[in-house]
Amino acid sequence: MARGDQLLTTDHLCKAFRRGETTVEALRDIDISVADGEFVSIVGASGCGKSTFLRLVDGLTKPTSGEARIGGQPVRGPGSDRAFVFQQDRMLPWRTIEQNVGVGLEMHKVDKAARKATVAPLLDLVGLRGFESSYPHELSGGMRQRANLARALAVDPQVLLMDEPFASLDGQTREIMQAELLRIWSERQKTVLFVTHQIDEAVYLSDRVLVLTARPGRLKADVHIDLPRPRGLAVKRSPVFGEYVDTIWSLIEEEVKQSLSYEARAL
Amino acid sequence: MAADTGTHRGTTVDAGHPAEEPVTADPAGPATAPGGSRRRTSQRLLRPLKNQRARRAIGSLIVGAVLWELAARWAENPLFFPPLTDIWGRFLTLAGDGTLAENLAASFQEYGWGFLAAVLIGGGLGVLMAASRFARDVLDPWVTMLNATPVIALAPLFIVIFGLGLSSKIAIVFLVMLFPILLNTFIGLSNTDDDLVEAIRSYGAKGGQIYAKVKLPMALPQIVAGLRLALSHGLVGVVVSEFFGARAGIGMMIFTSAQTFDTNALYVGVIILGLTGVVLTYALLAVERRLARWRFQKEAS
Repeated sequence: MARGDQLLTTDHLCKAFRRGETTVEALRDIDISVADGEFVSIVGASGCGKSTFLRLVDGLTKPTSGEARIGGQPVRGPGSDRAFVFQQDRMLPWRTIEQNVGVGLEMHKVDKAARKATVAPLLDLVGLRGFESSYPHELSGGMRQRANLARALAVDPQVLLMDEPFASLDGQTREIMQAELLRIWSERQKTVLFVTHQIDEAVYLSDRVLVLTARPGRLKADVHIDLPRPRGLAVKRSPVFGEYVDTIWSLIEEEVKQSLSYEARAL
Repeated sequence: MAADTGTHRGTTVDAGHPAEEPVTADPAGPATAPGGSRRRTSQRLLRPLKNQRARRAIGSLIVGAVLWELAARWAENPLFFPPLTDIWGRFLTLAGDGTLAENLAASFQEYGWGFLAAVLIGGGLGVLMAASRFARDVLDPWVTMLNATPVIALAPLFIVIFGLGLSSKIAIVFLVMLFPILLNTFIGLSNTDDDLVEAIRSYGAKGGQIYAKVKLPMALPQIVAGLRLALSHGLVGVVVSEFFGARAGIGMMIFTSAQTFDTNALYVGVIILGLTGVVLTYALLAVERRLARWRFQKEAS
């Protein structure tokens, strides 16, 4: 379901961490390309470098070799063409929701009136109207994740980088948030790179699901999800959906086993 | 998820304040309507009476004062233990002939300038040590050593160097206030939440913005704790430095009163110091409450 040109590409992206004397290779030779407006999920065993990959694309950490490009421009650091949605909401506890959602604009020196004007419709969009002057601790986990998403949308990025944003939510809230995300995605026409360890979540949301191997993470498979859009939650009960989940699960299974054996050795 | 290069800064010196919840200055407070401010003030002053803890505290002070008065009258030893009413009388004469005002002005100036210098230099060095590993490594041994030294012992030397006037006292007040402010600023800024820093970094925040928007707000409770310590250390600094020689000041008044067996005047000085400490502490807490409204709101709920 490619909607346009390749917006995001990575070229032999590698990342290794030094940990004391040893070097841990997290990612090896990741080559992907994501079209404008595409929703792509990344799944893999824990410790395979999914989150590291997102952080490389955001420029929060530098690759050991290779590079990521947005619209042909190499990533040198965080930029307003990308926005990160974190697993933990990471709201600043001393700021109201409105001030938190506007924080990206504030960093780019947008004045207060313009920030308010941008933030208000976004709070509407994510269903937080009326909570402008609430503090994060007054909101539920699901609501804080809505604010987290609104904060990312506020800088009007081309690419949303989402790092297991629903992992800390309860099952029901998670399902609702998935549907909400699809609605917002189709309304805002963003390109999304979505990291998750929930295979059904990846299938439900995505145009493509990328499967990474266990450490060091390499691209193992690129699964196109041909389910019609818009997708209601009912699609999760369809047999095709189940087949996709099974396919991806069998791809991941041996990787999970391998990563468990890594962990066992580390113990 | 891959483990990242988490750099954990070991805090070298601990002033005994566990990391508290982060707080900050938040400018967008609801403005108080200017018309209603007078009524608000009176309500605010009466508010403690509605609070059980405050009622007990005030009641306890009143009972203590009455017991003092009765015990002193029964003991009949005005040299060691004068009744509160005699002390009050002495207060009125000292206030009336201008002695008190002169002494208060001297001590107040010493305290104020010392405090200002300690906040600027202590705060500045604290930020510097938190921001630069080099600065921390170079300054740390000095800070640790001087912090462990009772700098008040330097008071006689400072009087020799700077003379009997204000400057010797300012230097001592500055020194005793410096370290609690410096250490707590440094520790507060070092213990920031890396996740929050990364979050605003992802939104394009650079060095100065990271300090202004995350690190300082988070360090605020620790900085306030340091200021609280400094406020009381500073009072001790003023008084003790004046003991070693001064032209005026509450400490000098206390010292000369003792030498002339003017016990009432001595108590006037001591009580003024105690009340000043209470007022300063509450003023500081009020400032913190204003800067960190969200936190107090959270505690209340």
